[in-house]
Amino acid sequence: MGVDASFAPGSPLYSEVVQFLYEEAEIVDASRYSDWLALFTEDIRYWMPVRTTRHLASGHGFEDVALFDDNHASLTTRVKRLETDSAWAETPPSRTRHYITNILLRAPENKDDTVLAVANFFITRTRADHGYQLFTGRREDALRRVGGELKIAHRKILIDQTVITNTNLSILF
Amino acid sequence: MPASTTKSAINANATLLSSGKRLEDIVRAEEGLISRRIFADPEVYNHEMERIFGRAWFFLGHESEIPEPGDLMTRPCGVDPAIVIRDDDGIVRAFLNSCRHRGMRVCRTDKDNARFLRCPYHGWAYRNDGSLVSVAAESHYGEGELDKDDLGLIPVAKLGMYHGLIFATWDPDAPSLEDWLGDLRWYLDIIFNRTGGVEVVGVPQIWDVECSWKFATDNFTDNFHVFSTHQSLVQLGMLPNDPDFACHGHMVTVGDGHILHFVQGEPGDEAMMGFGLPKDMWRLFDRHLDPAQAKIAREHGISAGTVWPNFHWLQLVSAGDMESASVGFLNLRMEMPLSPTRTRMYSWFLADKAAPDDFKKTSYETYVRTFGPAGIFDQDDMENWEDCTATALGPAAKKHAFHHKMGLNRPPASDWPGPGIGYADSYGEMTQRSWYRQWREMMTAEANGKERA
Repeated sequence: MGVDASFAPGSPLYSEVVQFLYEEAEIVDASRYSDWLALFTEDIRYWMPVRTTRHLASGHGFEDVALFDDNHASLTTRVKRLETDSAWAETPPSRTRHYITNILLRAPENKDDTVLAVANFFITRTRADHGYQLFTGRREDALRRVGGELKIAHRKILIDQTVITNTNLSILF
Repeated sequence: MPASTTKSAINANATLLSSGKRLEDIVRAEEGLISRRIFADPEVYNHEMERIFGRAWFFLGHESEIPEPGDLMTRPCGVDPAIVIRDDDGIVRAFLNSCRHRGMRVCRTDKDNARFLRCPYHGWAYRNDGSLVSVAAESHYGEGELDKDDLGLIPVAKLGMYHGLIFATWDPDAPSLEDWLGDLRWYLDIIFNRTGGVEVVGVPQIWDVECSWKFATDNFTDNFHVFSTHQSLVQLGMLPNDPDFACHGHMVTVGDGHILHFVQGEPGDEAMMGFGLPKDMWRLFDRHLDPAQAKIAREHGISAGTVWPNFHWLQLVSAGDMESASVGFLNLRMEMPLSPTRTRMYSWFLADKAAPDDFKKTSYETYVRTFGPAGIFDQDDMENWEDCTATALGPAAKKHAFHHKMGLNRPPASDWPGPGIGYADSYGEMTQRSWYRQWREMMTAEANGKERA
């Protein structure tokens, strides 16, 4: 497995990406919604396709239709909504914990981007007196250096469930 | 006649609940009083499974989802798992997704294309028309032990289509689909044939909510919850800051529990006309609908309706975010009960085949951003359904009724041009009361020995 040394664990870029993704997780778990939004570029596409159960020969079941298909305006609207006092699905708010693991860096697909960071996510949510709900999957983030800082230019969220067994997707991924 | 006396005695017990009350007496639809007991109670739920989910017609999907021979999808038919498949001759069929031998699920993916379906358990194999082709260890069956001609997949009792919508029932005594839909077809024409046909884009979103299925059905005919439930969008300026903003229109009770409404905007608000379709498509209404239907299509933006019991269309007009203009989109919804307190939601996006691609894209994006499990409207509805279910569980709550009295004394509109009974003002609970009347009818009629209508 030939890995570009600049992408390997221990490299400065790898450390910077890990720091970035961990800080993002801290921000979102602290419900600092506006700070979270500031981590995305103006041309962000934030996309979670619907998954179906298929035979392996037919692929992994990711469909063209989505559960999330946001641009900057709609992601901003989500965040502004969460900041109102009447977004009932999150008022009072869920308590989430984002665990980001298995981080690997790859060459970006788009020349404007700096690096593609892939990772697994494991998110727990509890609300009110409810038990835990779990969300697991893979994230593929195209990161771009803007004014010296990394931003998320494209986030693909590949959720493991075909039927979302968790009431709704009112949390942030 | 002693036999019939015995029968009516048994049947009389069928609507008696362990609380000592009869179903007929706690669903007082004519008074707008619906007992909380019917929503999440296991005893009532078990009766619903036999009397409603064993007998009604159910939506399975749209023909456009399985265009080619061999295309199949697995879907509930009511609550039983079904395979919906287009056979080699192009005929759409539906079967219980269960091998005739030991009941193993024959098709175990959400969609596929297959000429043959082979059961994993013992290898029984079926053609895509349901007929049994081969079984394992066939030479070990003796004379008369295996009648393959009689062992095809269990078909639905009846299957029918209307404007590509596929419906089926497990009840051989059910009325035909045409009779089941009745006058509702006039309204289904308006929604599904307005521009010559619609098609499903992709696959449904599916998710589970910890709620009674009936709270979802109750919600989809309710316009006056929008201002409060979706208050966050009022605060963001995406909905008018006026509690009466969605009251301009009519509600219609068609009969047999089928219900619907049409909503328009303020006079001259073109965004809330023509179902939010591009204006140059409105002329298609005249080509595909009769004049009264076309007038309704031209003058309204929003329509929601329920094909009794658990299938709905939502024709909506909304912006997808704070910056964009409003656009129309067509959403289909179905609830599949999983338990008295858990329900599987299905949500499809549809596009008018005649619509330009850029409109279809904007319409789709607006749908995904506002509806479905992540939608900024929809997610707050589920919050209501879950908490309404949770508060209906206790013995104290079950002694009380919900309040469904809005419009109880409202006279029908004399000038409504369509079939059924139209009511001016799209805020009202006439439609819910009509739905619960049909629920009571299905839950009690045969139990009381009445002939099926």
